[in-house]
Amino acid sequence: MATAPQLPPTRSRWARAPFYFNSGAHLLRIGREKANNLQELLEAIRTCSETSIFQHTFQTLEEHHFIREGFSNDFSHWAFSSCNEVGLAERLAALDVREFTSIAALRERLAGIIETYLEKNPRAATRQAMEPFYLMASDLVVVPTPYVARNLEEFADGLRKVSIHVIYYHFIDARLRLKLNNNDFSVWLEKELDLGQAADRLNQIDIYTSTLDGVRRSILKIIEAEINRN
Amino acid sequence: MAMKDKDLERKTADKEKPDVGEYKQNQPAKTAVVEEAPPRPVPSVPPSGPAERRFRQTDLPAHFIERRKHPRINTEQPPAPAPPCFEDYAPIIGKPELDEIRFLARHLRGKTVKMVNSTAVGGGVAEILNRLIPLMSELEIPTRWDVITGGNDFYEVTKGFHNALHGGEFNLTRQIKDIFMSYNEQNRQRMEFTEDLFVIHDPQPVGLIRSKSEKRGRWIWRCHIDLSNPHQGVWDFLKPMVEQYDAAIFSAPAFTRQLSIPQYLFYPCIDPLSEKNKELSDSQIQQVCDDFGIDRSRPIVTQVSRFDRLKDPVGVIEAYKLVKKYVDCQLVLAGGGATDDPEGAVVLQEVMDAAGDDPDVIILNLPPWSALEINALQRASNVIVQKSLKEGFGLTVTEGLWKQKPVVAGAVGGIPTQIIHKLTGVLVHSVEGCAYQIRYLLTHPEFAAQLGRNGREHAKENFLITVNLKRWLLLFQILLGMAKPNTTV
Repeated sequence: MATAPQLPPTRSRWARAPFYFNSGAHLLRIGREKANNLQELLEAIRTCSETSIFQHTFQTLEEHHFIREGFSNDFSHWAFSSCNEVGLAERLAALDVREFTSIAALRERLAGIIETYLEKNPRAATRQAMEPFYLMASDLVVVPTPYVARNLEEFADGLRKVSIHVIYYHFIDARLRLKLNNNDFSVWLEKELDLGQAADRLNQIDIYTSTLDGVRRSILKIIEAEINRN
Repeated sequence: MAMKDKDLERKTADKEKPDVGEYKQNQPAKTAVVEEAPPRPVPSVPPSGPAERRFRQTDLPAHFIERRKHPRINTEQPPAPAPPCFEDYAPIIGKPELDEIRFLARHLRGKTVKMVNSTAVGGGVAEILNRLIPLMSELEIPTRWDVITGGNDFYEVTKGFHNALHGGEFNLTRQIKDIFMSYNEQNRQRMEFTEDLFVIHDPQPVGLIRSKSEKRGRWIWRCHIDLSNPHQGVWDFLKPMVEQYDAAIFSAPAFTRQLSIPQYLFYPCIDPLSEKNKELSDSQIQQVCDDFGIDRSRPIVTQVSRFDRLKDPVGVIEAYKLVKKYVDCQLVLAGGGATDDPEGAVVLQEVMDAAGDDPDVIILNLPPWSALEINALQRASNVIVQKSLKEGFGLTVTEGLWKQKPVVAGAVGGIPTQIIHKLTGVLVHSVEGCAYQIRYLLTHPEFAAQLGRNGREHAKENFLITVNLKRWLLLFQILLGMAKPNTTV
């Protein structure tokens, strides 16, 4: 009986448009606001620039990308380490930046958490912190990389080679750029390769309990599974 | 005390080259003008360990005791190794990161930079510029380094300003202002300002900004000192000049003042390929330990710093004594400044008195060219301590983090920027706290190793010279309007 000829494995299909890997380089600007206690922090959060809110919630995930433990944003870390207000620190840490598609909404939520806490703990409002909180902001310059993906293999290859700043730029920073509850990688997979399920799985990766290298590994695992499936 | 050392070095160096600014300007302008640093002044008394100590009876082998009494210290300055190339950093930060820096530099190709400070040798600023400028040059951004000159009266004034800006008393008279401004004006007249970017370091040359109105370019003031609590009169005098710059750079948010110009944060940095930070083989580390009588089979706790009360070496010995009740460890206190600085010698004597006859307190008064030895000591250590009572940024902490060591440090100056408590190191506020944390780290090696790993990543992301270089390139692009910062919001 004749057997079917062995065909070479087919490459995944080509994307309708390529994915260009970019990186973001940040320069830290020192803001004018500084808080010596929680009341001052609340006022600073209400009045500071949007870039400052972004810096202390999103950008800190990149700056401390190698840490899995601890609190997830600078406000919660300060409430814990300098104000010794563990309850507030936990509430602030529970805030997931992925749920927000605008800084205004994120600012509102941060202020709301602190306000509620201070209503219940009024003495905490003016208690002097061990270290002041300095509000910062960052200027971002987009830096192209040589990596371009036209199919899943090239996409996986690019993911393996780029710096973690690229992962941050497309996977976390993108959420505010897109004003969507999404990231650049998932958008490309769904829009250019019709891989909606893989896109969804990517979007569910926990950025808080992983390092950015861990996030990279999780993304690769999903992409490699998709390559093998095809 | 730091200033005393620095001033001594600068004055000695100035005697050797009466007109630094002039000879800088005679260099070819195509690429970076980097002066070969003149040899450091050799202290009048050869550096050595402290006078021979008497140790109590101990089980330590005789060769350890001998070396602890008479450490083998290199009394001659070794020749400086060739500076590394940009590509040499690839194994450290990775090719993608290197490519990103190259990309940023490519857009600036042909733009020229002038850096001005007040000393070609000694001090952290000159050390950083000696490394940074060749890298900029290699990336085809011609960078010229000029050093201002002045008479003793000028340096007396700038030293007074330095102390006053740190909060010290100062009598600011009209005459003092005139001395400061006249030397700035002399330097301004002598220098040419034809570059695209001017980076003026620290207060001494701040008055060069008067050239801004006449010439093109963007002006940046890089302030390396802590301005959190300045003498008001001195600051009021300097501030109008500072505010004429296009941007100011500080080393920590806590070091800044309210200014009308944008302020950026550039952390000080270390060079991972320098003698003090490069990787060493185990045999190199062993050799240094042998030279100093350090027993690597038992835990080693080390503080590296000048013999200066603000570094609290006696507090470190007290903490060690509390630890020693539970853990059989050795304490290494390695520093300098006790040979050419009378106050340093007094502190060294206090340290020796506090150590008493304990042979496991190893005190090393090292000459300034001991970078390799310091590197080996840090790498041999199980815990690095920097129990400062007051601190600038604290680059010895950075060095410890980079070497993947658990660091226990006082929560002062720039140290909390580097140490995220219990994540990248441990912050302490007392002798007892310091002792407890050392003890905990020595008895919980997994936690210590995790701190070390996190600390190294933290240093890699924030405090390496390559990160510093990237920040400069970004700032240049932003100030020249070549990159419009997208704040992503």
